[in-house]
Amino acid sequence: MGERMTMESDRPVKVLILGAGKGGTALLELFTSTGVEVTGVADINPKAPGLRLARGLNIPTAADATALIASNGANLIVDVTGDPLMPARIADHKAADVESLGGTAARLLWTLVQREQDLRAQLIQAEKMATLGTFAAEVAHDFNNPLYCIREFAAFIQEEQDPAGMQDYAKEISKAVTYLSSVAQRLSQYARSGHGDKPASDLVHIPDLLDQAVTMARYSVSTDALEVVKDYGTVPAIRANSGELLQIFVNLVTNAVQAMNGRGRLTLTTATSQGVMTIAIQDTGSGISPANLERIFTPFFTTKGKKGTGLGLYIVQTLVKKYGGRIHVSSEEGNGTTFTIYFPDTSPPPL
Amino acid sequence: MAWLLSDKPVEGRILVIDDEEQIRKVVGIGLKKAGYDVEEAEDGGKAIEVLNAGENPMMVDVIICDIRMPKINGTEAIAYFRTEYPSIPIIVLTGYPDVQLATSLLKAGVVEYLTKPVDRDRLLSAVKTAMEKREMFAS
Repeated sequence: MGERMTMESDRPVKVLILGAGKGGTALLELFTSTGVEVTGVADINPKAPGLRLARGLNIPTAADATALIASNGANLIVDVTGDPLMPARIADHKAADVESLGGTAARLLWTLVQREQDLRAQLIQAEKMATLGTFAAEVAHDFNNPLYCIREFAAFIQEEQDPAGMQDYAKEISKAVTYLSSVAQRLSQYARSGHGDKPASDLVHIPDLLDQAVTMARYSVSTDALEVVKDYGTVPAIRANSGELLQIFVNLVTNAVQAMNGRGRLTLTTATSQGVMTIAIQDTGSGISPANLERIFTPFFTTKGKKGTGLGLYIVQTLVKKYGGRIHVSSEEGNGTTFTIYFPDTSPPPL
Repeated sequence: MAWLLSDKPVEGRILVIDDEEQIRKVVGIGLKKAGYDVEEAEDGGKAIEVLNAGENPMMVDVIICDIRMPKINGTEAIAYFRTEYPSIPIIVLTGYPDVQLATSLLKAGVVEYLTKPVDRDRLLSAVKTAMEKREMFAS
């Protein structure tokens, strides 16, 4: 293979997706998260899920495919409309050097993409379960105190003659039970959140999710000496799968808290400016060495030994990209780390 | 509540330090039923305040102390008590079984290292042992 031959294959792929149903949406998600540029998405159904996703990612959309086919800057058109007349329309309107993929080939591509999506979903789920596994020791402790109280108050009731005393002890028991079930609910909610191919249809309030992430991250290490500073500027609610966003924040906040060994200041900041939402998670922990900083988003890279999967930040990056966002990290050894996420503002326009 | 009106003589005064209110209550009731007087503090700092507030710090006979607490944690507070009030026996009551910590605390003069959930009998027998040490100091 001569080097000169690579010229054609080096040309960056720019894809126009026709059809924004399940197939088109899956392609759009995969392309954007792997860095393939999507130049446009078309679907005659204005409610097609891929159109909404594309708009969130600032990708041109259209109801009528023809205009996009004619002049879009794409060098590959992928047709997953299922429309029998579409291949002829593409052939009629596309520029000569633009390739097109349709029919059986497009269906094959879609099948592969779906497989890829399934694997990715499994990986994301596995990472979540692994994280919950590392929380087990702290969760067990968190259960011990209320269980101790329940046992003792139950004994006090048995020893008590006075109805008022009994009532007081019974109240304490139900307080402990309420606490226990809230912990159990939080954990199982996290385990199940975002499971399957739930569409990105939740209206998500980022500060709420950051708060939830802090509650979860407290199970990763003793956090008695942790100071949490919340600097939540107004951010619009965004359309997303809340489970996926929570996973991003749980990973980042857990890392932050662990880097501080539970002692220090965690600063959570949200802000919006010129259509870009900024979310920053800052710790005063051990920081990351320049050598490690280059590798933190690499799958299976971990500094936590057996306690880490090396998938946390990789999945964070994957999910951030899925929503058209960017993640930036700055760190100084001994002085802490800041992760900043930039999301396009995909809040629904006011009615 | 009957036990509050108990006319048994007071067996001694115990300071219970734990950041969780419900734990303080559970431990406190168990001790009061056994005839002890109970003081409570929610962290090491408050405990030091309680000890220093009285005209006579010897008013506390035994300290029961948690380890993981906000602000001044148990390990720090215990170091302070051992220096300032070496005659007050200390019992650790923690949710975390930690052999290393237990060894170092016992070396530092802690009477017992107990983990939650603890049997009431076990707690009371630890308190009794601590009270005997206390009396040895006092005599």
